[in-house]
Amino acid sequence: MSLRMLNPNAEVLNKSEALRMNINASKGLQDVLKSNLGPKGTIKMLVGGSGDIKLTKDGNTLLREMQIQNPTAIMIARTAVAQDDISGDGTTSTVIFIGELMKQADRYIDEGMHPRVMVDGFEIAKRATLQFLEKFKTPVVMGDEPDKEILKMVARTTIRTKLYESLADQLTEIVVNAVLCIRKPEEPIDLFMVEIMHMRHKFDVDTRLVEGLVLDHGSRHPDMKRRAENCYILTCNVSLEYEKSEINAGFFYSNAEQREAMVAAERRSVDERVRKIIELKNKVCAGTENNFVVINQKGIDPPSLDMLAREGIIALRRAKRRNMERLILACGGDAVNSVDDMTPDVLGWAGLVYEHVLGEEKYTFVENVRNPHSCTILIKGPNDHTIAQIKDAIRDGLRGVKNTIEDEAVILGAGAFEVAARQHLVNEVMKTVQGRAQLGVEAFADALLVIPKTLAENAGLDTQDVIISLKGEHDRGNVVGLNQHTGEPIDPQMEGIFDNYSVKRQILNSGPVIASQLLLVDEVIRAGRNMRKPT
Amino acid sequence: MREVVTIQVGGFANFIGSHFWNFQDELLGLASDHDMDPVFQNPGVNMDVLYRSGETQEGVLTYTPRLLSVNYQGSLGSMSSHGTLYNQTPELPSPVATWKGSISTQRSESLNRNLFLQSLYKEEQKESVGKDSKHADSPDNIGDQEIMESLENGTQFWTDFSKVHYHPHSLYEINGLWMDVEGFDNYGAGKDVFAESSRGEEMTERLRFFVEECDHVQGIQCVVDDSGGFSSVAADFLQNIADEYTNTPVLLYTARDPGSFMSSKSRKRNISRNLNDAVSFAKLSPFCKLIVPVGLPFLGGSKASTYLRVNDEKPYHCSAVYAAALHALSLPFRMDSLGPTATSDCTLGALDFNSIVQMLSGQSRQNMVAILDTTMPAPTIGEQLLSKLQTLTPEISDDMEDLHSVETLVIHGALKSDEQRASVFEVQDAISAAYEQASSRPRFCHLSAATCPLPIPLPFPSIFSQTVGRCGQLLSNPSSSSASKGSLDVHSIPMAARLRSSSAVLPFLTNRLENLRKFGIQHGAMGGELLKSWGFGKEELEEMGETLSNMVRTLAPYSDLTSDSD
Repeated sequence: MSLRMLNPNAEVLNKSEALRMNINASKGLQDVLKSNLGPKGTIKMLVGGSGDIKLTKDGNTLLREMQIQNPTAIMIARTAVAQDDISGDGTTSTVIFIGELMKQADRYIDEGMHPRVMVDGFEIAKRATLQFLEKFKTPVVMGDEPDKEILKMVARTTIRTKLYESLADQLTEIVVNAVLCIRKPEEPIDLFMVEIMHMRHKFDVDTRLVEGLVLDHGSRHPDMKRRAENCYILTCNVSLEYEKSEINAGFFYSNAEQREAMVAAERRSVDERVRKIIELKNKVCAGTENNFVVINQKGIDPPSLDMLAREGIIALRRAKRRNMERLILACGGDAVNSVDDMTPDVLGWAGLVYEHVLGEEKYTFVENVRNPHSCTILIKGPNDHTIAQIKDAIRDGLRGVKNTIEDEAVILGAGAFEVAARQHLVNEVMKTVQGRAQLGVEAFADALLVIPKTLAENAGLDTQDVIISLKGEHDRGNVVGLNQHTGEPIDPQMEGIFDNYSVKRQILNSGPVIASQLLLVDEVIRAGRNMRKPT
Repeated sequence: MREVVTIQVGGFANFIGSHFWNFQDELLGLASDHDMDPVFQNPGVNMDVLYRSGETQEGVLTYTPRLLSVNYQGSLGSMSSHGTLYNQTPELPSPVATWKGSISTQRSESLNRNLFLQSLYKEEQKESVGKDSKHADSPDNIGDQEIMESLENGTQFWTDFSKVHYHPHSLYEINGLWMDVEGFDNYGAGKDVFAESSRGEEMTERLRFFVEECDHVQGIQCVVDDSGGFSSVAADFLQNIADEYTNTPVLLYTARDPGSFMSSKSRKRNISRNLNDAVSFAKLSPFCKLIVPVGLPFLGGSKASTYLRVNDEKPYHCSAVYAAALHALSLPFRMDSLGPTATSDCTLGALDFNSIVQMLSGQSRQNMVAILDTTMPAPTIGEQLLSKLQTLTPEISDDMEDLHSVETLVIHGALKSDEQRASVFEVQDAISAAYEQASSRPRFCHLSAATCPLPIPLPFPSIFSQTVGRCGQLLSNPSSSSASKGSLDVHSIPMAARLRSSSAVLPFLTNRLENLRKFGIQHGAMGGELLKSWGFGKEELEEMGETLSNMVRTLAPYSDLTSDSD
């Protein structure tokens, strides 16, 4: 799916050609992404040259899958992807908005308006819209116990644009609970503390939240228990495998005995470390039914595993670096980097640890933990492309909830904000602007309507009817959005349709900047291609 | 047994890898076929070092390379990124289970399997139907000759000639680059690729999957196409690996196909190329224990292809030569290490990663840049053999005498006469005799030998000259035909490959150092802006210069290059 909007052999484009190219490319990209938008949008199934399937309704994912060649399109795509990096959502909206700004500008420029004046108008409109956004937002008080209902509404709004309704609603609950689990008062939310794990197994509705951790590996010893209750958890980063230490590993040994001696000495020091762990286990578990689990970031070799297994200890090696942090948050205790730091205080606790095997894939569940601050969303799905799509939706949902908590505000959705802002610009702001820049403000205002228009279009409604009735309601002082089933105006507040404040602000900030750059282009020089054949 | 994990990053690296794994696959096939020459039983070489045993969800056992291959999206051609073994559960009625609204399908032009892949596929189907099937010789069987022609003329992707089953975690495609191959031709193009949109995380995770299941990993062997943006991806990846697996040695081959040397008329491009080479090398070397630059600008015309007919324009050809050398070098890692007194008839001179690193770079000189020499096919053992070794490392001085050089030589499948294979002890005797005779001797040499030659699998390119016989022997009266021979005429060849730590590598190093200084560091240097756009500040450049000049200083303590001229 390469976007080629112009003759690739063109080398230098003059100003008007360059402008034309920019406008066409932004429209082209808009066309590709437009049908994605909203809960009535179209899901895209991408089938690669080898038959690989990718499924996506996410603008961000779709852009990454496209082999975009056109420099303008790449510039827009980069902005949109950055939008996702910053605020977690709004990729599609950004692309559509930029496309629409260019389209509107095109009309006026065709009539002889200078792009510079257009850009000035955009700037005025942008500032006014951002101010309006501040007034328009619905504040949400977060306090110690955030309002779960509003979080759910935000999460539901975003997830329902990615997944069918009942699955979306199920995930909404999971996503909100996950963020609340990792949230600590007075600290920024680190979404990495929600592990997202997947199993290719059964059906998408089996996706669930595990309060605790799921690791994608198991013990590597046949005699270790596959299930244990009441477990002390030792999280460590200590090498439990025999390595030739660098300094001693001379290639020449004067004789075989010397070599053997070196090997034995190294082995002894590994064994010593294992013995320390066993000592600790005996100290805390002696006389009780409690179990002991070691989760190590470094390797554990078979002799060490053997020693641990004999003591009834479950040991996992090569844990993800990030899981070290998550384990501590889920189970308590501290991660240790040396056996000398090991005391009963560093141990965490889990009520249940068990292993689940699917073919060659092993999963270790660490569950029933006390007071967890880390958790796992376990996605199940019948195939990789379904799992990937659910994962996308969950990521967006998590970001939406996090944004809401951090913004302490939400924006009425279903196009309500865009219509309100448009009316504000046309009815209030334009009067205050002198001269032709007015037209720039008008173009900007009309471009905002692309969001409700596209929503209507994707729902199979008549866009003009919809826009007229929405404008009318707003002029009567009713803030309404679009009911995508009936085409009637609805109150987003009643329906629980909310968008993120920070996502909207980011779109309003970056869209006009890129559009202005594209309008003010002088000429485009395409880099000469070299003769090297692609390999 | 100690495992090796392999990483291949970039276009040409994966071409080499594809041939490399084809050799392994061929060896596995020959070893299980009892009608074959017993030499292919190859008992002293343990395949588990490079391969992993697994199981699909349906309980089918698998045996796949311990490999992570990184390349850009679309480089897998007609092969699915999930590999071929772990097939997904049969499609549900609708492939879209998560959306009840409308669906639009965008289908890329489907890439057809070439004749070779079609024949593999048919063979497999036949096997699953049952071996007794009557239509085994059905007329639609594709002739080997046709297959070879189609590979010669139509190979575009490394997967086109790969006969190996890969694990679904093995093939990682970088998406969202929004760059064509031409644009991705410098170090700067790859900056941030690793860090952005959790690509690095995904790569690290996939690598961890393979390392976690190793009981005792001996090292990571890494092949990187360092001609462009992939060297920057690899540098970030290797840095990550050095952090995560601190004591696991990394052996790095930086590989080039001749196309990447083509000089351009544009001065700007040449500067970019030179800086790319210098920066890539300076950035990659700190994160490995041993670095081996591989790839000649004119392989076809080089002394290394005396008995070969290599077309420099075909990566399919060139990569085959380099893969053969890499295969030979990997043998000592896979030999069972015996006690000090025990001996084996099939193998000699097992080495692990650490030993090889220690031997070449850990002794009197801390030179970590090794030269790769090879002779393909190897002549019959004797005094000649050493002098026939030709370098595959570019920018090497031919006539530099280095009394401190250290080498490790691997010979496998050597012949003692046109018909007879030499035993490992005969090889050992012949080589030590040859060293005795040689005019200049290295300070130290280690020899590894195996009796098993390099098998030539069907998809190997036709690159042998008429001089090469069926078992790789050099014919004294070759046919005068100018056609080149391929896998139908040559079944196996003896190989010799050598890693050499020698000051002969100095020109390679000084060229990079000089280019970095001239175009990058010097006041008002022409490449200054370019390097800035690649994200390098002055300090970082000076640090790189320091890295390079330290390498030069190790080999030539009195060189005037090592002191800063400004």
